[in-house]
Amino acid sequence: MTPASGRAEPHALSRRANRSRSEAIIGAVLFLMSAITIVTTIAVVFVLAEETFQFFREVSIVEFLTERRWTPLFAEAYYGISPLVLGTLLVATIALAVGVPLGLGSAIFLSEYASPGLRRQLVPWLELLAGIPTVVFGYFALLTVTPVIRAIIPGVNLFNPLSAGLVMGFMILPTVSSVSLDSMQAVPRSLREAAYGLGASRFEVVTRVIVPAALSGIVAAILLALSRAVGETMIVTLAAGQRPAFTFDPRETIATMTAFVVQAATGDQPAGSLSSRALYAVGATLFTITLSVNLIAQAVVRRFSEQYE
Amino acid sequence: MSAAPQVPEARGGWTVGEEAKRDRARRRSVGRAFAATTAVPVALAVLFLLALLGGIFTDLFSWQVVASNNSAESFAWREAPVGGDAVVRLELAAQGLDEAAIEATLNYPEQRRRFFARNRVEFMLYTDQGPFRWVVTNMRNRSIELVDLIPGFGQRAELEAALEPGQRLLLNPWLDGGFFQRVASRNAVSAGLKTALVGTLIVILGVVLFAIPIGVGTAVYLEEYVAKTRLARVLEVNIANLAGVPSIVYGILGLSVFVRLLNFGPSVLAAIFTLTLLALPVVVIAGREAIKSVPSSLRQASYGLGATRWQTVWRVVLPSAAPGIATGVVLSVARAIGETAPLLLVGAAAFVPNLPSTLSSPYTVIPVQIYSWISENSAEFRHVAAAGIATLISVVGALYAVVFVIRRRLERTRA
Repeated sequence: MTPASGRAEPHALSRRANRSRSEAIIGAVLFLMSAITIVTTIAVVFVLAEETFQFFREVSIVEFLTERRWTPLFAEAYYGISPLVLGTLLVATIALAVGVPLGLGSAIFLSEYASPGLRRQLVPWLELLAGIPTVVFGYFALLTVTPVIRAIIPGVNLFNPLSAGLVMGFMILPTVSSVSLDSMQAVPRSLREAAYGLGASRFEVVTRVIVPAALSGIVAAILLALSRAVGETMIVTLAAGQRPAFTFDPRETIATMTAFVVQAATGDQPAGSLSSRALYAVGATLFTITLSVNLIAQAVVRRFSEQYE
Repeated sequence: MSAAPQVPEARGGWTVGEEAKRDRARRRSVGRAFAATTAVPVALAVLFLLALLGGIFTDLFSWQVVASNNSAESFAWREAPVGGDAVVRLELAAQGLDEAAIEATLNYPEQRRRFFARNRVEFMLYTDQGPFRWVVTNMRNRSIELVDLIPGFGQRAELEAALEPGQRLLLNPWLDGGFFQRVASRNAVSAGLKTALVGTLIVILGVVLFAIPIGVGTAVYLEEYVAKTRLARVLEVNIANLAGVPSIVYGILGLSVFVRLLNFGPSVLAAIFTLTLLALPVVVIAGREAIKSVPSSLRQASYGLGATRWQTVWRVVLPSAAPGIATGVVLSVARAIGETAPLLLVGAAAFVPNLPSTLSSPYTVIPVQIYSWISENSAEFRHVAAAGIATLISVVGALYAVVFVIRRRLERTRA
C-alpha cells in the first residue's frame, strides 16, 4: 500500500508507527467511514433494482418502452415511460438552449475580456445564482415568468415546460460557466502568446485557440448541465405540471420523470402497490440516464483533455 | 477591454495600402462586436438574479383591504411603543370597554387566552389612518381586496376612497417578527414559519453532526492512509458519481431504507440521515482538496519528530487544512438547507402544527413549507411563500458570505 510518489516518504517513515494498536483502530474507523459512500451506492442500486424488478413482473418491459400513455395513478392504468422521458427531454432541451450559450458566453467574457478586478466582482454573483434553492426558482418560474410568457405568447398553459426550461437555463448557467471558465484558464499562456505573436486578434485567439484547447472541459460542462437539468425536480414540479403528455409542444402541460416521483411519493400510495413500484421504475430510469451522462462527461475529460508541459 | 494587439501592416505582403486598412478595420469591428456579445450573458445572469430578488422583495408586501371584526382603528406607534398589551388596551378602549373591563380582560387568564386566540397584534407599515401603526387583526377579518406593492401605490387614493365603514386599508409586511412565532395555518394571514424553522434547525444540526466527521474522516483516509492505491481510486470514482446523483434519488433511497426498511417513519431522523448521505460527497471532495494543499514538508517534519500517522493528521494536517474544510462544510450545509425534493419523499409534511419534540416526530422544513404554500395557488399564500423564501435566501446568503470571508483570508495568507 506504499504509494510510489513524492508523498511516499512520510508513509514509509510512519510504517512502524502505524503498527501500534490505537493507530490500527483509527485506521479501521476511517475505513468504515469511507465505506459508507460505497454502501450508499450499493443501496441506491439495490433499492432501485429490487423494486423495479418487482414492477416488471407485473408490467411487461415492452409496454414500459413502447406505450405512449403513463397513468399509473388512474383506475385504467397504462405504464409507458415515453411521455415522462419526452417531458424531461423537452424541459432539458429548453434549459440547455438557454443555459449553454449564456454560460459559455459568460465564461469567455470572464476568462478573456474582463479585467481580474471585474472578474472578482462578477464571479460571486454567478455563485449566488448557483446557490439559490431550486424551490425558489420554481416560485419565480410559476409566479413571475409564466404570466409574462402567457402575455406574450397566446395559448400557453398555466403549467408549461417553456417557463420551467427558461428558468432552469439560468439555474444551469453557473455550472456551464464555472466549469468552462476553469478549463479556459488552464490553457497555457504560451499558446496565447504564440497566437498573438502570429498577428492574431483577440477574437481570433479566443475562437481559434482558447475555445478549441478548452473543448473537453466545455463538453464536460455541457454534459454536467444536462445531467443537472434531467435530475432537477422542484422547478418542473411547480411550473411544468404533473400531467404526462406524449408531446414536444412547449405550450402544453407535461410531466417529467422527477415530477412524477414527487407526485407518486406525496400521494398516499401504499408501499408495495404497483403504483408505488412505478415510482422506483421511473427512479431507476432517471438514475440510469444521469449516471450515463456523468460517466460520459468523466470519460470526455479523461480522454480528450489536452496535456501541456 | 483593451484594444486588440496591433496587426502588422501587411500580412506577408499580400495586401497593401487601402486593402490592408480595410481588412484591419473589419477584423477590429468583428472583435469588438464579439467582445460586446460575450458581455451580454453576464449582464443577463445578473439581471435575472436581480429580477428574482426584486420579485421576492416586492412580494413581501401587499396592500390589503379587510373588513374588520373589531374596532377598525389603528394606533400610532408612539401611542404604544412597546406593542403587545398596550395595543390591546387601546383596542379594547376603542371598542367601548371601560377601564375595569379592560383590566379584567387582560388580567383574567381565561379571557386573556381567548382574546389572543382570536386576535393578533401586528405592526403595519401603512394604514388608511397613517404610516407605522399598530393593528389588532381579528382571525375572522374578511379579505376584500389584495393589491401588489407597486400598483398599490398608484391605487392607494382610490382604495381609500372606496373604503366602506368597518373596512380598512393595510400595507401588510408579510415578513414581520410574528411570522417566526406563528405555526402553520390554513389561513394565509395567520400562517407562520415557526415549525419549519425549528425543523430546519434540527435537521441541519443533525446533518452537520454526522456529515463533518464522516466526510472529513473519508477525506483523511483517502489522502493520508490509502492515497494512490486501487482502493482510493475506487472510492474516488464512486464519490464523484455520488456527487452527480440527482437529489430526488437520495429521496427514494431514504424512503426505502430509512422510512420503510428501518421503520423510522416520516421522521426527523429519516430526514437527517437522508440529507447526510446527500451532503457527504461535497464535504469529502472539499476536504480532499484542502488536505492536498497542505505542504508535504509539514508532514515530513511531523513524522521526522517521531509522530504517529494519526498524530500527524490530527495535530498537523487537519489544523492547517481547516479553513478549506470549513468552506466545503458550509457550502454543503447551504445546499442541504435548500433541498426540497428528497425531504418531500422522506415525509416532510405540508401541515405540521406542532414543533417536533423527539427524533421520531413528524416535521417540516422551510423549503417544503414554501413548496406547499406555493402549491396553495392563492394570491395571499404567494406573499407568505415570499416571506419564507426571503428567510431561506437570507440564511443561504449568510452562509455564502462566510465562505467568501474564509476564502479571502485563505488567499491573503497564501499570497
